[in-house]
Amino acid sequence: MVLKINHISKNFGGISALTDVSFSINEGEIYGLIGPNGAGKTTMFNLITNIFSPSSGEIIFKEDNITGIKPHKITEKGICRTYQNIRLFSQMSALENVMVGGHCRSESGVMRSVFRTRYQRSEEKTLKENAEELLEIVGLIKYKDVLAENLAYGQQRRLEIARALASDPSLLLLDEPAAGMNENETDSLFDLIKQVQARGITVLIIEHDMPLVMKLCDRITVLNFGEKLAEGTPLEIQNNEAVIEAYLGKEEEDDIA
Amino acid sequence: MLGELLNPYQLQIASFVLINIILAISVYVTLSSGQLSLGSAGFMGIGAYTSALVTIHFEFPIIVGVLVGAVVAGILGILIGIPALRLSGVYLAIATLGLGEVIRVIFVNWESLTNGAVGISNIPQIGREIVFTTRDLGFNATSLGLQNNQFASLSVFLILFVLNIFIIWFIVRQKNSRVGRAFSAIQLDEKAAESMGINVTYYKVLSFAQGAVLAGLAGALFAHVMGYISPSDFAYHRAVEILIFTVFGGSEVIVGSVFGAAFLTLMPEVLRFISEYRYIIYGVLLVILMAVRPQGIIDANILKRLKRSKGGDVHGS
Repeated sequence: MVLKINHISKNFGGISALTDVSFSINEGEIYGLIGPNGAGKTTMFNLITNIFSPSSGEIIFKEDNITGIKPHKITEKGICRTYQNIRLFSQMSALENVMVGGHCRSESGVMRSVFRTRYQRSEEKTLKENAEELLEIVGLIKYKDVLAENLAYGQQRRLEIARALASDPSLLLLDEPAAGMNENETDSLFDLIKQVQARGITVLIIEHDMPLVMKLCDRITVLNFGEKLAEGTPLEIQNNEAVIEAYLGKEEEDDIA
Repeated sequence: MLGELLNPYQLQIASFVLINIILAISVYVTLSSGQLSLGSAGFMGIGAYTSALVTIHFEFPIIVGVLVGAVVAGILGILIGIPALRLSGVYLAIATLGLGEVIRVIFVNWESLTNGAVGISNIPQIGREIVFTTRDLGFNATSLGLQNNQFASLSVFLILFVLNIFIIWFIVRQKNSRVGRAFSAIQLDEKAAESMGINVTYYKVLSFAQGAVLAGLAGALFAHVMGYISPSDFAYHRAVEILIFTVFGGSEVIVGSVFGAAFLTLMPEVLRFISEYRYIIYGVLLVILMAVRPQGIIDANILKRLKRSKGGDVHGS
């Protein structure tokens, strides 16, 4: 078990964004988190990465209770994420963005950096080579010196994934990676996520593109109004009546007829 | 003859340019992690008073006094930097401006130590010390064809020049490294930087403290170049002046700070012949610049273009 969400609730003032949600993710899985807008999916990501703390419940990552520890420590432990509304370092080149991702896997401080010790130089070289390899994987190596803000939308999404991978995570959180992508881009995103899985990384993905989710995920949890509606394989979810109702509404005409 | 070329007055202006460059870099370093601090005048004052007092009362050598001044300013920078983390943007600017005023008021009112508004005079001067020391060693400036005051001003200038080169080298090296990338990541998107594993607290306090050390260092040097300091040297208009150096020159790149400090220090001197109008020109220039080029005179694009036109190496380190 990589991640265990244990009876998590989150209230903002009087509004409850998540109520008593539990699920767990096995190693090597691609796990989907779906639900209508406002169901609390991104809130769940923010709780896992501790952008804010849960009101109750706990989050267990590889047998460690990571509830409430600082976000950068969580990244060090091996969880990294992307954002629904892309948050790249806009004024940095693609390469630099990915190198920043490697920050917590390197350690040269001010003195080593200023005096360019042998250790620092070899570390910097490794960081750069890793970053270039990741850019190669996401297909952006040609654009390594281009500022992140000048990349096309789909490229920015892929760059964000490369940056997250640079932190060498064992669990990758993807927040709507296919949003705004065309069919070709979505197809290559599918391949990319499969490649990530092949590297032994567990993936938790929020996505609205249902064909992609059904094709990609091993298991899925459905959230609705902050509560867990269903959990199961794509096939089970597709045939779950509560889920169909949440997405499409009740078939009232049939009742009348 | 060398002696006829060196004008102590011009050398002193040049020394002030170099001190102001250090001050501008202190703002640049803090800004590079996204923190707008107006506390530089306060930290400058801490460095100046600390160094002046320890050299006068404990008879520390000037170099030790300057280092103590910079370190004390740095420690204060860490102490202020930690609570300042809660603030950002204009709120941080106002809070640090307030800090500077508090420091100045302490200088004015702690009369037993600081001599109040009158200030401290008879601070050991770097130039004089060098002349005396070299004379004791049997070296005479006249053998270079220089008078003593020329020799004094020249050595002050050279010391400051070497120090400037070292500081710029240090900051540039730091910028092109893991630490520098962490600073810019925080500046560009603090939340994203944090979720990429960057310890935002550590790096923000680090850059704030580095700014404080540089301002303290500049203040201590100022004290030992002038020989006289008073609280009004470190009032809020000084803080604003330092900020303008950096913003005018361009706060994205270190060259901007160097250029801004040099240009804005020299301009009033060059315009001395129209003395009563020169600060009007200064003001008008700032208004035009902010309207036309809010990023400052020099930015990353200009540097890139300059490098390309020279056909030189694009990856300067």
